[in-house]
Amino acid sequence: MQMKYFELIKPGTNHDFVKYRRIAVTISLIVNALILLGAIVWPRLNYGVDFAGGTELQIKFDKPVAAGDVRDEVSKAGFGEPTVQEYGNKGENQFLVRVERIALLTPDAAAKVKQEVSKDLPQAQLTGFHFDPEVGDKLDFTFKKTVDPEQLKAAVEKAGVQAKEVRSLTAREGQDREYTVIAQGPGDKIGQLLRDRFGKESVQVVRTEYVGPQVGKQLRNDGILSVVYAIGMILIYVGFRFDFRFSPGVVIALLHDAIVTLGYFVVTRHEFNLTSVTVILTIVGYSVNDTIVIYDRIRENARKHKGKPLRDLVNLSINEMLGRTILTSGATALSLLGLIVYGVGTIQDFALAMLVGIISGTYSTWYIASPMTIWLEEHMAQRRAIEAAKPKVKAVPKPPQQAALR
Amino acid sequence: MDRAWYWKAGFIIAVTVVAVYALVPSWTYFRLPTDQRNESGVFEQHRPKWALTKRHLNLGLDLQGGIHLVMGVEVDRAVREKAVRRAEELAADLDRRGIKGVDVKGDPDTGYVTVTGSVDAVAQARNQISADYPDMTLRRNSSTTLELAMKEDAVKQLKESAVDQAVKAIRNRVDKWGVSEPTIAKRGDSSILVQLPGYSNPEKAKELLGRTAQLELKIVDDQNQLVTQLKDLPPAITVDWETYEGAGGALMRVPYLRSKDGVLLRQFVQGKAPPGEEFGIEKVEDRLNRESYYRTFLLDRKQTVTGEYITDARVAFDNSPGEGNRPYVQLTFNRTGAELFGKLTAANVKKRMAIVLDDNVDSAPIIQSEIPGGICSIHLGGLKPINEVLQEAKDLALVLKSGALPAPVRILEERSVGASLGPELIRRGSLAAVLGLLAVLLFMAIYYRFSGVVADIALVLNGIVVLAVMALLDSTLTLPGIAGFVLTLGMAVDANVLINERIREEMKGGRSIAQAVQTGYDKVFWTIFDGHVTALVAGFVIRAYGSGPVRGFATTLIIGLLASMFTSIVVTRAIVEWFVGHGKLHKAFSV
Repeated sequence: MQMKYFELIKPGTNHDFVKYRRIAVTISLIVNALILLGAIVWPRLNYGVDFAGGTELQIKFDKPVAAGDVRDEVSKAGFGEPTVQEYGNKGENQFLVRVERIALLTPDAAAKVKQEVSKDLPQAQLTGFHFDPEVGDKLDFTFKKTVDPEQLKAAVEKAGVQAKEVRSLTAREGQDREYTVIAQGPGDKIGQLLRDRFGKESVQVVRTEYVGPQVGKQLRNDGILSVVYAIGMILIYVGFRFDFRFSPGVVIALLHDAIVTLGYFVVTRHEFNLTSVTVILTIVGYSVNDTIVIYDRIRENARKHKGKPLRDLVNLSINEMLGRTILTSGATALSLLGLIVYGVGTIQDFALAMLVGIISGTYSTWYIASPMTIWLEEHMAQRRAIEAAKPKVKAVPKPPQQAALR
Repeated sequence: MDRAWYWKAGFIIAVTVVAVYALVPSWTYFRLPTDQRNESGVFEQHRPKWALTKRHLNLGLDLQGGIHLVMGVEVDRAVREKAVRRAEELAADLDRRGIKGVDVKGDPDTGYVTVTGSVDAVAQARNQISADYPDMTLRRNSSTTLELAMKEDAVKQLKESAVDQAVKAIRNRVDKWGVSEPTIAKRGDSSILVQLPGYSNPEKAKELLGRTAQLELKIVDDQNQLVTQLKDLPPAITVDWETYEGAGGALMRVPYLRSKDGVLLRQFVQGKAPPGEEFGIEKVEDRLNRESYYRTFLLDRKQTVTGEYITDARVAFDNSPGEGNRPYVQLTFNRTGAELFGKLTAANVKKRMAIVLDDNVDSAPIIQSEIPGGICSIHLGGLKPINEVLQEAKDLALVLKSGALPAPVRILEERSVGASLGPELIRRGSLAAVLGLLAVLLFMAIYYRFSGVVADIALVLNGIVVLAVMALLDSTLTLPGIAGFVLTLGMAVDANVLINERIREEMKGGRSIAQAVQTGYDKVFWTIFDGHVTALVAGFVIRAYGSGPVRGFATTLIIGLLASMFTSIVVTRAIVEWFVGHGKLHKAFSV
């Protein structure tokens, strides 16, 4: 039969993947260790507000501005070292500015305000005062008598706190009067500083985000937990469907890919946020699928070629599936191409990180996951040999080939 | 072609038709200009009548801009305030029953109620409490002092209802602004997630959401027939009439304006009310005709009792003869409120009283007689079945309570995406995604030719099914959702590649096309199944434990994987088998 079609990989290709496993694993171990060090010790991941908590502003200037100038100006506000990062394309003059603080008010400043208010408005009889650093720039007052909001505002400002507005809450018959004072927050302060420096009209605050530290911590924990549980369940499923000898290979490969993807965020210093977690989860899913397809073929070949050493089986399987692996990875990468070329900001980061993960996933299937099964097999054979060598044990040692696979 | 094949083909065609049909409202939605599509009136108008569902895909905040707020409800404070109010009620109760010489105090800081007095009086009070205050428990019990606290389950219930009230109050307000497709949901035990797509003023949003709900009771002026004389009525607004039995059995015939567009109606009546009066607007849910519309009332601004005098609202049951335990809503006013309310009702017997919450009329029952004593009952729906009335009564009690006591809310998380960023991102993002998809389709078609085109059909169908299911689930498309979609797409491509490569192999092994197709699909089935199920397992775990955007990712992933298994295994096989079975492709068959 005459057939015409493209063939990416000629049949009978026999690249010896297993031969390079030691070098590959060594290099991968070093790279992974470096990434983990980079993520945890130095320079650490650039956590977005999702995880770090704090205030984040996206600011657009109408003229080119140096990131250093923005940083200098923002650090004058006095909430420690801000993170300033260019955002989007070069010509857009956009920056992400993040500070850790979510409130300008400190407990000390709040105490001063309380003192000032009870001194300035004695006739109103301040009965309650509440300030919560978790909530931010909000002060709650309870008075016995009605207070003029303007007077309250004046008293608060006298204590050195910029009040944005005073809200009067429920004033029910026979109950105390409650007022909430909203003070100027870090977002307003930063906007104001930049406007003063670069001109009122040329600074536009496109977006502000604000996440309390508690919420940030919870989001981070949820993210980590979901990754850990997902990996655990995959381990169980693969063990159940294949063999528990296969599980470690799958999991090590997916950990490898997850870490390499994380590496994208360590190296570029781009923001690591909840969307980045979903990229890593995507890569985990992709990597597992990729590995399972090869394992499936190893299992099939083991049945077909009984007695062939595992090493050869693995090599054969990888080679047989070479065309498929490259095609699939290529097609998936192709679907990301548009996002990489035309995407902006977060979308582009997202696609690039995914591309890194896909390349890593393909590599890890060939050089990490498959050799893992060989090692495990050798290790187990060795153990059996040691068991057998013990004089007390009567069992005859099995040749490793036969123990290869079911 | 055997019987089974025709069943399969029929099923595939049915799925395709249903999926395309389910996407009709989404198509309408995305064809509307971005600044209009989120107004429910405009969307309703453009949606084809033959599209049964109005569910459509939504864009997440990250794609279209808007505001994301997480509000914490101070439930503990609600519990303490409730205890104080229970103390007031207890004091009044004991007073009414002639138990003198006891002092009842509620402590707003601890939420404890203390009763002190003579041995005799305290004993009487103790009996009264154990009989009529099942939600309170004795913390300290001596002959002259009692200390009461709310029971644990009562506290739990109270906390829950505090959050429900806040959700209800917030939903009322958001509806009033005309922001459609908002997300307002309980998150955890005491916080509320509010997402307002397309809304761009966070300061205003926070102010409106954080404000205390305003409840007002106003008398409806049904004598004035002003609305019949209004000129230049837009075509979307019509005049309608209603009748009820007024004072002395006289039949009242009252005109009002109605429209499907609440925002338009509000704008139209603005400034048209006579001096001392105002228009109130009610959103009417017509269950019979399954539609909702807005209507006007003319309200007397001088005759008003506000919600600040209400101390409680609850559902009670009327077990007087002939009423068969009909539920109704009971309001309790404090002393001042009781006086005002008594006067208002005495002067307006057989007139209607509108219950107005945050400028929206909730309902307008007829005052049957003067209501003294500060306890007012609102009876609802004359002929409706009991369970429907009960639901309405519960809702109304909630509305009234949310007017009377919202537990204070504070903002825990705030994000706003500027409107200038939204359209820009979505335009480039969708262009990018479409280009990527086209590249994949083209690649498959060139590389595998015939089988590639079959795979492309499957991939396109996969996309349609995923979007349709998402639309039917009313879900939101976000960036992480797109990530899930890309992964699904990758796996669907993989499945097709696996199948085709396998068929090639089998053909090289010397099998006929029919055999190669058969064994190819059979052998690859479990590989594809394993890959998909593993990813599905991960998807379900992530959905269960993840938060926010991560869950959106998992949802898309799960839907996508199920669709991919269907399209890659069932659909492509059916198509290929048809061609093979008809012997059409013996020579030209290319994989």
